[in-house]
Amino acid sequence: MQNLIKILLRYSNFLVFIILEVAAFMLISRNNAYPRSSMLSTANALIGWQHERLSNIGAYFSLRSQNEQLAAENADLRNQLSAIDSLRNDESMHYTPAKAVQMTTNKMHNYITINKGSSDGIQRGQGVRNSEGVVGIVRTVGHDYSIVIPIINTHTNLSCRFAKNDYIATLQWDGKDSRFAQLADVAAHMVVCPGDTIVTSGLSPVFPEGIPVGIVENSVLKEGASYYTIRVRLNTDFKRLKYVEVVQNAHQEELEELNHGLD
Amino acid sequence: MDWTKQIIRYVIVMLLQVLLFDRLQLGGVCHPYIYVLCLLMFPITLPHSVDMLLGAAVGLIMDICCNSLGIHIAACVLLMFIRPYLLGAIVNDRDRLNEQISLRALGLGGWIEYVVILVVIHHFAVFQLGAWGWSHIGFVLLSTLVSSIVTISIIVAYNMLKFK
Repeated sequence: MQNLIKILLRYSNFLVFIILEVAAFMLISRNNAYPRSSMLSTANALIGWQHERLSNIGAYFSLRSQNEQLAAENADLRNQLSAIDSLRNDESMHYTPAKAVQMTTNKMHNYITINKGSSDGIQRGQGVRNSEGVVGIVRTVGHDYSIVIPIINTHTNLSCRFAKNDYIATLQWDGKDSRFAQLADVAAHMVVCPGDTIVTSGLSPVFPEGIPVGIVENSVLKEGASYYTIRVRLNTDFKRLKYVEVVQNAHQEELEELNHGLD
Repeated sequence: MDWTKQIIRYVIVMLLQVLLFDRLQLGGVCHPYIYVLCLLMFPITLPHSVDMLLGAAVGLIMDICCNSLGIHIAACVLLMFIRPYLLGAIVNDRDRLNEQISLRALGLGGWIEYVVILVVIHHFAVFQLGAWGWSHIGFVLLSTLVSSIVTISIIVAYNMLKFK
């Protein structure tokens, strides 16, 4: 027994090292797809508050481009107002405006922190869009802040369709350029042209159908391959993202319960 | 050892890290983690295991700021684990090291060796754990190279200023 204690004491530094590293690896693997804890992430009230103050300061420097974006959005809204009758059919969708207070665009796993949380009715799994197109999906919800996984995160899979013929495909991101994503599952018999519009499919309750995602930049069909390699120019300009809307689908819970029932 | 000095330096460097370096858009491969400066310059008067716990705490705070729970903890603990062994290999006369890790105590060659090895190990650990798998190894190595060069330059510049 004494020998054992002696050995433990002799290697105590190494033991501390191993224990700390094992703990860190457990945290990484548990946390790998997205931040799970709203305390130990930017959804934390203190860190979120600090980022919000900072982004408020930064906002003064981009007033001009923000104004332009808001003007464009106003115009877009006026257009939609004229088509209000068609919108009436979709009363189950509710939009909550929010502001991105912190985000990264140049990592493989990018996240956006927004200044709305459970106190504003935000729930995990809700979609996030802006006036340009799809932004991402809410994954971690704190009381006043939430973390969104944008489509420019290598863990994202977004169900999309071609606007021209409703062909379904999956949008993924390779971690390299925040302006471009990749489209998977497009079989070789499809005719894909640069300029084809990609929109959300409406197959999941996260996003309603037809929100713009991007435009096909180029497509390559390798010799003998049965699927295309397609590069999509994203509509959303993530580097200048500031104002977003959280899509709240009144039927989301019901639809998800139905899906779980199938598994 | 002056604890207030260590803490003030840590707060300033951490603010620079979160407010400036994490927000710079320097292309996809340049993420300098200058906060390792505090760990590198930390005196070696405390027991080794306490050093590693401090490393874990510094890593945890960095992780909370960039939504990467665990990654910086693992990298900082690794750095603090290797540090005394590396110092032992560089400096024969340990008495000269009893307080500050400085250019004077290590000599220019030894000091640069110390900074380069630890920064590269730390940055490689962060990027590799972030990628979580070997499929992005080329991207990880390139990120390590570019980011380490920037971090090392900043640490060298900081010590130059301190010496004047």
